[in-house]
This record gives sequence, structure tokens and C-alpha cells, in this order.
Amino acid sequence: MKKLSILAALLALAIAVSLSAGSSHREAPNISLDPAADNTDTYAFTAADAPDALTVVANWIPGQVAANGPNFFRFDDRAAYYINIDNTGDGEADIRYRYTFKTKVNGSGYQHSVPEVTSLTDPDLKQREFYSVVRETYKNGKLRSSKRIARRLQAAPSNVGSKTMPDYSTLANEAINTVKGDTKVFVGQRDEAFFIDLGGTFDSINLRLPPGNVGGGKDDFSGQNTNSIVMQIPERLVTKNKQAVSSPDAKNAVVGVWASTERRSLEVTNADFNKKRAPSKEKSRGGDSDFVQVSRLAVPLVNELFPPVTKKDLFNRTEPSTDAKLFGKFVLQPELARFLNEQFPGIVNAEEENRTDLVQALLQGIPDLNQHKGVKGPPAVDTLKLNLGTPPASPGTENRFGVIGGDMAGFPNGRRLGDDIVDIELQVVAGFLTGNKVPLGDGVDQNDKPFLSTFPYMAEPTGGFESNPSDRTEPVHEPVPAGGTASSQAPRVP
Amino acid sequence: MTSHRFNRLALTLGAPLLVFAVVLGVLSFANRASDRFADGATGGLPGVPAGVAVPGDTAAAVANLEDAVRDDPASADFQAALGDALYQLSRETGEAALIERSQQAFDSAIALDPEHVTATIGQGTLALARHRFRRGLEYGLTARRLAPDLVRPYTVLIDARIELGQYRAAAQTIDRLLALKPTLAAYSRASYYRQLNGDLDGAVKAMNFAVSASGGSGEGAAYVQSLLGELNIDRGRYGQARDAFEAVLAVDPGYLPAREGIAHLDATSGRVDRALRSYRAIVAEQPIAAYALAMADVESVAGKDAAAQRHVDLAAREIERLRASGVNADAGFVLFEANYGKPEQAVELGRQTWQEAPSVDSANAYAWALHQAGRDRAASRFSERSLRLGSADPAFLFDAGIIARAAGRTAQARRYLERVVEQSPRFSPVSGPKAERLLARLR
Repeated sequence: MKKLSILAALLALAIAVSLSAGSSHREAPNISLDPAADNTDTYAFTAADAPDALTVVANWIPGQVAANGPNFFRFDDRAAYYINIDNTGDGEADIRYRYTFKTKVNGSGYQHSVPEVTSLTDPDLKQREFYSVVRETYKNGKLRSSKRIARRLQAAPSNVGSKTMPDYSTLANEAINTVKGDTKVFVGQRDEAFFIDLGGTFDSINLRLPPGNVGGGKDDFSGQNTNSIVMQIPERLVTKNKQAVSSPDAKNAVVGVWASTERRSLEVTNADFNKKRAPSKEKSRGGDSDFVQVSRLAVPLVNELFPPVTKKDLFNRTEPSTDAKLFGKFVLQPELARFLNEQFPGIVNAEEENRTDLVQALLQGIPDLNQHKGVKGPPAVDTLKLNLGTPPASPGTENRFGVIGGDMAGFPNGRRLGDDIVDIELQVVAGFLTGNKVPLGDGVDQNDKPFLSTFPYMAEPTGGFESNPSDRTEPVHEPVPAGGTASSQAPRVP
Repeated sequence: MTSHRFNRLALTLGAPLLVFAVVLGVLSFANRASDRFADGATGGLPGVPAGVAVPGDTAAAVANLEDAVRDDPASADFQAALGDALYQLSRETGEAALIERSQQAFDSAIALDPEHVTATIGQGTLALARHRFRRGLEYGLTARRLAPDLVRPYTVLIDARIELGQYRAAAQTIDRLLALKPTLAAYSRASYYRQLNGDLDGAVKAMNFAVSASGGSGEGAAYVQSLLGELNIDRGRYGQARDAFEAVLAVDPGYLPAREGIAHLDATSGRVDRALRSYRAIVAEQPIAAYALAMADVESVAGKDAAAQRHVDLAAREIERLRASGVNADAGFVLFEANYGKPEQAVELGRQTWQEAPSVDSANAYAWALHQAGRDRAASRFSERSLRLGSADPAFLFDAGIIARAAGRTAQARRYLERVVEQSPRFSPVSGPKAERLLARLR
């Protein structure tokens, strides 16, 4: 089954490139990757313990290997990190939460921390990361208001290990804050929630067909950490009519969510310097340079799997509102479908052309589920569209296949931490929604650590001293049909 | 016997380059954009197989991609991805053979798909690393034509243009890159451009953006923070320089450019024994020309001439090996020949280098070769060219001072040496004190 490894390699590469080299200080930097700015995963869901709020998780700096010494993974103090919300469906942000950071070094030396750090204000914590949050509202793409809702909050530090941080849970919980507007925020290191077999274990890679989906994959992210921004916002602060959502059918029920990162654009010729040297000649464009968007992320793997390599940077610097124009054709004629057919001739049989089912599921929203109401089209925009009125599955009953598994509260109706994105997307690209149900999967079904049942939901990071990469392998299990066991309930799209 | 300048130039080398230097023979004692940013043109781009960063294990990525290539030999994507992975691995391991294999993978990709962007960028990167700057520029232009929306070709273009002395075009390309995607790769190049133009404060400012953008961990962070240390030595802020190096070492105690930075600061502040201990360990770990020559300088300061000579010989062998492996001569080779070889040969090499790549670095090296050969009027002309951007490089200014003095232009010599002494008397353990002595005589 050697061929299958190629698909694994393709997927691995597609995804791996959004990982940092951050795993090891022995690796030379691959600086076309930009871990401190590259959005890696965005989640949007209604938490079971907070049914009247939108919960968003956005991650950066993935694949942190805790064991690699005194590394301190931090946000860029000079960048701006955004959670964006579109409540009209046009792909323009109507509400944006802007996070900016300031790292403070306490005392001399460059240590991150020394034993024992028992609170966020403990002087033994030498490097501290503070942040502010500004809430911006927009109308038709124009800034209407900008209000600071939090100032100088402290992020949870990297988990150095039990010697330095004997009670990391308590420490990290201090980083949970409720700010203006009854909004909860948490920033800091967490366990990497994404799970996938990147193809490191080719022999066991589980893309066998049929019967497919039988476990046995190795979670290449197990035991690794990431940096998260988690927020929980009351519905009335994100909906288009500023009201809570009364039911899944309500006109205001759907919001589109994505995360993005902006950096300042310098000018190579330094105006201040040239003023000194030749005051009359050079004109300064004055002040600090503009912010430029360098990354965005909504629906997982959309930017990895659909736009070709040559369009990648364009994707990252544009807004969802132009997605249909710039990238629609790559979803309509997905390379991945062609590839799956090539690799599994006679087995996958995915449509390669005119994949309106994909455009709808991933970019337009599913009618009567997570499609925006009151917008013409609806436009194909890469946002995570979540119907805030869909009741969350009760804890323990979630189906990892989400909507195609009959669990309407899961992906692509938003995205939960446990949704098995790789399996879902492989099956959807193969044609699940048009009846071509092929039990594809990578063999990893869940995260190595259980998620928390309460805010911030993301599991605690693995500590540096404890780090012993968990190397979790999914137990082999009975074949699971495409879409999981409840697949008969899944909706069909044209 | 020892040169005034190798240690300073050695320091300008970035970390990945160290390994890279050994691998490819990039003469690390030359301050070149392509060396400093050799990594910038590599790496993966999402979407198609182009990246290599399977977490934590480049060797595994190489193995997987070799499998993929075996299974699907007609895939240009896999070949190009393999080229990137091999190049990455070469930087991590210092194995020269990997570079050759990387080149072969890129070539195979091009054979399958003559318009393959990743492979074209890879070829450009390798051309620059071999000091084939014009060819590197051509690859960069081709890659940009093939993928006008992609920023990655810009890094190849910028590095090539800097090496070729096309500074105005380089500046425009850097601005374009900064406007399209301001990242560590863009900020650090902006910093270098400002440094070349004598704007050291502006260079520090841009490099601080790069440090901040690095996220604080990984070799990217260590790399740009070490460059920040170097910049601070150049502008005479030794405390800040030490801070920068120590910040690197707090995260990665083994990081050679930062260890070398500390050793340099020790050597130029009277702690010669400690510096020598450090250098011994550094050279043992990474016996490249840059470190060997820096160590030789410190040994000569300590009066250990025989030991210094041994390290010069070590550097000579290393350079010979690089030449033999197909690396073109550049300013670093010229300076070595001028200081330790035959001056007339250095002049010829300097002339060729200047013709191939009329950069300020080439001008400085050619000027110094002419000076060593006793042709000080010609040397003066080229030393002026080396300063044409307004350089604040203490090594350039020192050379210009020595050459002006030899050419009988005493007032000018005094001005240059005054700048060295005022700005950064500790730029070199040998030449710094020499500048002070000469200046005392000229006053």
C-alpha cells in the first residue's frame, strides 16, 4: 500500500508547513515559516457550559516541544492578533477583537522563571507577557468604534515543569479573566489540540480502503503545545441585531469567525536617518508604518489544501470577502479530489469538477444550518460559520465526524476542539455530501489529552520537565463507515 | 601576520550559516546578504508539498519524501520538496553531500516541470550560496515571473541584488517585501540594508522587529538576536551587545554565533584568556575559516604567534576545500589572499570579484588587496567606492584610514580613524588598538 503513503506525505506536507520549526533549537530556522504570526487553528463553538455565548479559540506557534530546554514561546510584541466576526455573511469583519502584547523581563538575566512560581505575580516568574484587548466594530468595512476592554492582563506562562511550577493548573487559572462586556478571556500556552498522523509511521498509516477508518494512526502532535487566545463572548455582543439568539432559525443566529495576524510594515529607508543626513531631499511618510495582514485562518485546511502554493501569500493577505473571486475555482476543482482519484483508482471516485457541494459546505454554509440569513448568494467566504442557536451536544455525546456524523453542533457548523477535521475533510472531498461515502481517515480519532469541560477548554500544556512526548497511537478499532455510525442522519447537499 | 578584520567579519555570520558555511563552503568571514539570509529563500509553502517541517525531525521528512519520490518519480512537487528538505537538513547537520543531493532534487523537479516555482527558488538559493550571484538573480526573476503573488522569490532577488551592488533595486524589492509580508525574513533584510547605508540605529530598530517576530524561541530567534549583538558591537554599545548574546545563550547555550560574540567581547576587554578558552571550544566544534581566523587574531594579541599561524593554516585549508567544492571567490576569499597569500594574486582575484559583483564588499576587498600590493592610489579609489553608501562599518572605515594614510592623505586618514575610535574601538582585538595608536601619531 505504498501509494497511500504519498497521500500521507501530501497531507503531511500541506499541514506541516504551517507548523513551526519551533520544535527544536537544533534546527536551523526555516524563516519563510513564521510561527509567531502564522495562524494555525481556529475553533468556534457553543460550549455546553455556556450555551448563550460564542466561544472562540485561536492558536499560534504550533508543535511546541516542551522538552526542548528553556524555550519560551511568546507572541510578537510588535504584531496585532485578531479574532474577527462577520455577522452579516459578506465576509467583512463586523466586530474585531485586537490583542497586543508586551513582554516584561523582571530583574536581570534572561531566565524565564526559577523555582517556585506559585502565582502570576510571583517574582520567580521572570518573563511575563501582558496583553491588552480592544474591541472594534465596523459597518460596511469601515471602523465605527474602538474600545479597550482589557488592559495589562497577564498571559499564562509556558509550562516549564513541575519543579519550577508545582501547581500549573492554579497558575494558569489565574490567567482567566472576565473583562468588560461579560467577556471571558484566556491567553497562554495550552496542549496542541490538533491531531493528525502526519505520515511519520507509514506502515501503519490508516488510509486503507476498504474498510478504512480503523484507528492505528500515530498522533504526531501528541505531547506538544501551542499558544492560544481563548474568548467567550455573550451572543448579544456578536450578533447583527445585538440580541441574544433565540433559536436556530433566528435571523441573527449565524456568525462567521476567523483569526488573523498583522505586522507592521517598515520602510527600508529610515526616514529619521535620512532627515539627519539629507534633510531636504527625503520626505518622510511619517510615523509608524501601516499594519499588514500576514496570516488568517478560519475553516481548517482550506488554505493548506485548496489555493495552490503560488497563491498562498495572496490568500493570507486578503479578506474573506474576496475569496470567491480569488480562490473559488480552486475549491470548485480541488486538486485533492484529483489526487485522491489518482491514488485510489476505482475506489474513491471523487468528482473533480464543479464541486458546488464543497463550496457550500466549506464556504457558503449549509442551508438551514449555518448559512447566514438575509444575504444574497450567499457569498463563498472562508469563515467558520456557526449557528449560535444550535444546541451543543451534551458532553460525551459529541460525534467526531460532526455534521456528517449527524451531530449538528460540530464542524462545519463552527468547529469544536474534538472534531476530526482530517477524516471529515477527506471524506467530504471524496464526495460524502453528494452520496459518495468513502471511509477515509488518517487513523487518529482524537486528541492525546482530554479537553477541559470548562473555560478555557483547551487542555493544559505538557510541562518541560515532564515532557516525554506521548507518542500516542490510536488503538486499532472496528472499521467505522464513512461519516461514522450515525451517518444516515447527515444532510445531503445538492 | 594576522589580519585586523576577520574576526569582525566572522561575527556577521548568522547561525544557520555556520553549519551552512561548513557545508557549502560559504566563507563565513564575508559579510554577505546571501550568507546572512541563505535560509530566507528556502522552506515550505503550504498548499502543495513544499515544506519540510515535519515536527522535530527533518531527517524523517527527508526519508518520507525519498519514499514519496520513489513511489511517484514523476512528481515535481515531491522532488522540489525533497530538495528543500535536504537543504534544510544540510544546514542542521553540516553534511556537504546533502547540498549536492538537494541540487539534484531541484534539478530533477525542473526536468519534470521547467516552470516549477519551488524548485526555481531552490536553485536560486543554491546559486547564491555558491556565490553565483548573477545566476541567483536570474532564478529569482524567473520565480517571480512564475508566481507574482508569492513573496518567497523576493528574498532571492534581494540577496542577489545586494551582492551585485544593485542597491537601489534591492531597496525597492525590500520595500515591496515589507509591504506584502513583513516577517523576520523581511525585517532582517531591511536591517541589513540600513546597516550597509550606515544607519546603524535604524538597522538595530529593524532587527528588533525581527527579534520580536521570531517568537523568542527556535534558531530563528537566536539567529537574529545574534545579528543584533553584532550591530551593537559596530555601533559601540558593548553592554547591549553582551545582553543580546546572553539572551540567546539563555535559551540555547550552545549557539555558536552568540558564543563567538561573547568571546569577542571578552577578547576586546582584556579578558584574553577567557576569550581563548571560548574560541578553543568554538573552533573545535566548528572549524570554519571565520572562527579559526578570529581565534588567530586573539592568539596574536596574546603573543602566541605559533598558535595563531596554526589557525591561519587551518583557515587556509578550509578555504581551499571550499574552492575545490565549486564555491566562487568573493570578498572573503580576496581578503584572505590579501592578508595571508600572495598580494598580486589577491589583486587579480579582487578585480574578478569586483567585476562579477560590484558591491561595497567587493570594493573594500579589492581596495585592501591593492593596498597590500602597494598600489595605494588605486586602493584609494576602491576604498572610496566601498564607502559610497555611507558605510559605518568600522572595518571598512579602518581600511579606508590605513589606505588614505599610505596614499599620503593624512587628514582623511585621521578622519576615518577618528570615526573608528569614536564609534567602536572594540570592533577588533587587533585593529581597534591599532587604530588608536595610529590616530595618536596622526594627531
